[in-house]
Amino acid sequence: MVNAVINGMAVEVEKGTTILDAAKKVQVKIPTLCKHPDLTASAACGLCIVRLTGSNKMLRACSTPLEEGMDIVTHDPEIIDVRRTIVELILSNHPNDCLKCGRNGDCELQTLVAEFGIREERFEKILKDIPKDDSTGTMVLEPQKCIKCGRCVEVCQDMQDVWALSFLERGFHTRISPAGDIKLADSPCVRCGQCAAHCPTGAIFEKDDVEKVWKAIQDPEKYCVVQIAPAVRVAIGEAFGFKPGTNLTRKLYALLKRIGFKAVFDTNFGADVTIMEEGSEFVQRFVHKKGKLPLITTCCPSWVDFMEKFHGDMIDYFSSCKSPHEILGVLSKTYYAQEKKIDPAKMVVVSIMPCTSKKYEITRTNEMFASGYQDVDIVLTTRELARMVKQSGLDFADLPEEDPDHMLGDYTGAGVIFGATGGVMEAALRTAYFMVTEEKLPKVQFTSVRGLKGIKETVIRIGESDIRIAVAHGLANVEYVLQRVREAIQRNEEPPYHFIEVMACLGGCVGGGGQPYGVTDELRKLRAQGLYHDDENQEIRCSHDNPYVQKLYHEFLGKPLGKRSHELLHTEYHPRPIYRK
Amino acid sequence: MKKLSVDDLSAMRKELKKKKGSWIRVGCSTCGIAAGAKEVFDTLKEEIQKRDLKSLEVKQCGCIGMCYAEPLVEVMIEGMPKVFYGKVDKDVALKIVEKHVCGKMLLNDRIYDAKRSR
Amino acid sequence: MEKRVFIKDTNHVGKKERTRDFYTAFLAQLRERKLENDVQLIRVADIGAYNQGFVVHIYPDDFLYSNVEMQDIPRMIEESILGGKKIDDLVCHHISKQFRIVLRNCGVIDPRNIDEYIVHDGYQAIEKILSGYTPEKVLEELKTSGLRGRGGAGYPTWLKWQFTRNVPSDQKYVICNGDEGDPGAYMDRSVLEGDPHSVIEGMMIAGYVIGATKGYFYIRAEYPLAIERVKNAISQAYQYGLLGENILGTDFRFDLEIRLGAGAFVCGEETALIASIEGKRGYPRPRPPYPSVKGLWDKPTVINNVETLANIPVVILQGGAWFSNIGTGASKGTKVFALTGKVKNSGLVEVPMGTTLREIVYDIGGGSASQAKVKAIQTGGPSGGVIPEDFLDTPVSYESLQKLGSIMGSGGMIVMDANDCMVDIAKFYLRFCVDESCGKCTPCRVGGTQMLNLLERASEGTGKREDIEKLKKISLAMQRASLCGLGQTAPNPVLSTLRYFEDEYLAHIEEKKCPACRCGALFRYSIIQEKCKNCGLCAKNCPAGAILGDRESGYTLDQEKCTRCGRCFEVCRLGAIFRG
Repeated sequence: MVNAVINGMAVEVEKGTTILDAAKKVQVKIPTLCKHPDLTASAACGLCIVRLTGSNKMLRACSTPLEEGMDIVTHDPEIIDVRRTIVELILSNHPNDCLKCGRNGDCELQTLVAEFGIREERFEKILKDIPKDDSTGTMVLEPQKCIKCGRCVEVCQDMQDVWALSFLERGFHTRISPAGDIKLADSPCVRCGQCAAHCPTGAIFEKDDVEKVWKAIQDPEKYCVVQIAPAVRVAIGEAFGFKPGTNLTRKLYALLKRIGFKAVFDTNFGADVTIMEEGSEFVQRFVHKKGKLPLITTCCPSWVDFMEKFHGDMIDYFSSCKSPHEILGVLSKTYYAQEKKIDPAKMVVVSIMPCTSKKYEITRTNEMFASGYQDVDIVLTTRELARMVKQSGLDFADLPEEDPDHMLGDYTGAGVIFGATGGVMEAALRTAYFMVTEEKLPKVQFTSVRGLKGIKETVIRIGESDIRIAVAHGLANVEYVLQRVREAIQRNEEPPYHFIEVMACLGGCVGGGGQPYGVTDELRKLRAQGLYHDDENQEIRCSHDNPYVQKLYHEFLGKPLGKRSHELLHTEYHPRPIYRK
Repeated sequence: MKKLSVDDLSAMRKELKKKKGSWIRVGCSTCGIAAGAKEVFDTLKEEIQKRDLKSLEVKQCGCIGMCYAEPLVEVMIEGMPKVFYGKVDKDVALKIVEKHVCGKMLLNDRIYDAKRSR
Repeated sequence: MEKRVFIKDTNHVGKKERTRDFYTAFLAQLRERKLENDVQLIRVADIGAYNQGFVVHIYPDDFLYSNVEMQDIPRMIEESILGGKKIDDLVCHHISKQFRIVLRNCGVIDPRNIDEYIVHDGYQAIEKILSGYTPEKVLEELKTSGLRGRGGAGYPTWLKWQFTRNVPSDQKYVICNGDEGDPGAYMDRSVLEGDPHSVIEGMMIAGYVIGATKGYFYIRAEYPLAIERVKNAISQAYQYGLLGENILGTDFRFDLEIRLGAGAFVCGEETALIASIEGKRGYPRPRPPYPSVKGLWDKPTVINNVETLANIPVVILQGGAWFSNIGTGASKGTKVFALTGKVKNSGLVEVPMGTTLREIVYDIGGGSASQAKVKAIQTGGPSGGVIPEDFLDTPVSYESLQKLGSIMGSGGMIVMDANDCMVDIAKFYLRFCVDESCGKCTPCRVGGTQMLNLLERASEGTGKREDIEKLKKISLAMQRASLCGLGQTAPNPVLSTLRYFEDEYLAHIEEKKCPACRCGALFRYSIIQEKCKNCGLCAKNCPAGAILGDRESGYTLDQEKCTRCGRCFEVCRLGAIFRG
């Protein structure tokens, strides 16, 4: 423990605690701009300066650990003056077109300017004209709005190991861009959107498709249906004053109907179907030795993109199963359309996702048009839906709770936990257990695959066999797992794992790049808890027990991995160059 | 070359220190080379060879600090004061050999008396 | 020849007649005594003393006389040349104050030949240490010596080494910071080119003390010759077994490699330098943790500047106590300065700490290179400040220069005269920092640019009174909140010129005048018709074709075309070009 004084108040903290965190213990908030709890302090912005009593030299609270006997002043006229000057300097190099900015009202810089009560721009505006980059169709880069905090670069390089974003040039001309000054779409970018989720301003922002959805809904020729991903329900409430993790599934159904969707489905149902397919795939490979092991999950399009770019040698290990929302999309335009006698040509499928990458996934390959049409037409992120709600004039908090549309709306506990790291694995194990042993699982929970540890390795006993498992989230954690697999292959050994789950974002989809801002591990935990609660509250907790899933196979698909399944629910992967062109 | 021990090194130093004789040094650091020291060095080498002055060693060295007077040539002929010639060019180099080295006379207007600054 | 007499008129640069008369008179008197074959009289170009009339140096007796008059010639011949006696009242006291520790071998040894280093006591310090010094004993000597880092910050070297030594680790590193980048500074280049082995020896000693087996030379790629010489020196040291395993037959091991800096000034900052060696973008990172705890590849690392390391072998050989006798107060030893600008003898000088700025500029540098008076000197490069001529009697030390608003820095010293505009100087250094800012932290990235913008406004005549307040405001933010030394010190040139020459700023801002006539927008040239004799020299020399007319009808100057280069002003012998 370390004992010190902050603003005259004694404080005792654990060794290594930063001055920033220690100050919170005495109810002092030191302003920051570049610091993010997910990332190591880069100490770029300079706002968090504090001083030792009597000294001129200032320390950065975000990165300086409190030391024994320190006597820290966090606020005095000179410190505040310097901070103010820094904010003013940032403004002098910022377009300040808040009114038209996607972050208006939810911008860390705007908040600071308001807190400092800045009423005029003292310094001359010096702005470089750097064009937007909207080449990916998922994220828009507006370097002019960038304040060079470095969060996106650190996220992209260290957290995600993608290295799409970097700083180019230096000094005043420093800007964020893919290395080599190419377009983001030609870069290694996997569209995970973590850069956007961590950006304090509007410099990296999801491509906004809200307008498109409104248009489709209002078009009398169209038949708009919608689906909600698991992780959305436990996060969207944050934009409306609910506690993080509050499950708002049934309010969302009501909301989407009021907004004007003809049918409201749940991606969780798609997840249940995914498990039927992927679970069968696993049984086929593991029990019947048809195909290679380990089997690697493919629900996450950023992960798929990452693998195609960086780990093309692993393609044979990938599950060919599409992601849940794609499955739901294709089933909407085939199964549902047939049943309800709707012309699929007129159908518009909208997916509400915690994810920016899903915007890319819907046109990824020809298999995303398996219904004969584009299976999913538009993807909105959680943040976009929140904006749509506000535009709709609906009082979200007071909406009643309603049910989804049947056939593609009823889900099991296994479907809902897809939204957290380890969830796909757990859901698959529940069904795989049944498929291997043909027995009912006595205890459905596999807690060893849950939690925020970056790489979770465990062994699960099913019947007579031990199944070796790895769960990784955050793309930087993938390398270790794949390296072990590669080494085993090289040495011609048994694979270290039989089944691997990967989600690109930390915490899984609950921490997705399209989720409400301000994500921290604490938030990831609460959101995941919301999903696990939902699971616990479900009567049916295994995908294969979902009566609507059974009905689907019985009436439409036939058997998992059958001919029709293959046509509609499966896809292929191809190695891609890391840099296009 | 065999690796030295502590004793080898001291012995070697002692041996090296015994070496005496006349020499000419040309400052061949970046500043000197930029000012033309390489040409001066080559000229001196050539001239010494031509005149077959075997006992005289022409060497390169670093920058003595008098950058304003580069290229610098330091001349040590036994029995004469050790002097620096500054702003030396090919012609001066030849004169140094002819007058100073062979004629034992110092050149006018070219000496930078750096003894004071050493 | 038995005797040689050097003569030099140190007062009147360029007035050859005086020297000729003196020389002729001297020669005549030698002839009178039939001494012309025994005594050689030599006119020298430089005698190492300045503004002291005729200076006469008699060899081999080594009598140095100053302010010698014609009438002193007979007694010099009689008493000194023939009699071999010193004439006390003629003795020159103002001799150079240089003292060479760092530059001891520069210009003396052939840097490409390790034997020459060895013969000049090279590798004797490591030999001494490996024959029985414990690391603690070395630290003790260093502590006694009072040696502080010569890179600029002046941190006690022994303390840095001790911290690193005390951090347990399986691997530690020594880095030599040879990323010298201050405009006008080239001390480190000179040492690396002229005496690379002394730096290698310093690094070995550092390695021995802290327990590192590996060292890196970080040298900027713009120093190809230095790189070549260091490379050569390293390979020679390996051949002799002075690097590698079992050095000098002991179990001490030390390996050295070179890494090249890619041209970013900020990579001279230690954490950015480390990032650069690791192959990352040269961004500084917050300290703590200091490199002594977490440095290269996260291992404890000592980073020392070239000059610091070159001092180490001498400290060991001569002893810490000897070293601490040189210098002053808390600043011990010597300091190498790169003396440049409007000074007669530009070059490298090494003086004991405590030598006054005036001694450096006048006694060593020979004073102003032009007719104009020395106005100020700039020390510490872009991190330093301007010191006006009134303060030239200040003895050089880390503290004294800081007190004046400048810093010792790495050792650049630029002399400025009345033709230098202080706003322009401030702008020059600030632009350097703005160009070299890495762009990581806001105060430096945006603050520097905004300050430069304000200075540009001043020099273009569009400055406003409140700009001075803004300059001070941004300066404070940069000093307090910049992440690394580059940003923290970047405002120094502006603040120090504001402190001593605020009137020049006001002249630019309020009167729209540049007193030194450097800021092109604030003065102009014109032809004073009354003085002009229509010679046409100005028109012939004008590179912009701005002087129109002919010898019959006379000349006029077209302000639109004029680039304010000043060529006409220089060539006109009649003073018919007006500037102001």
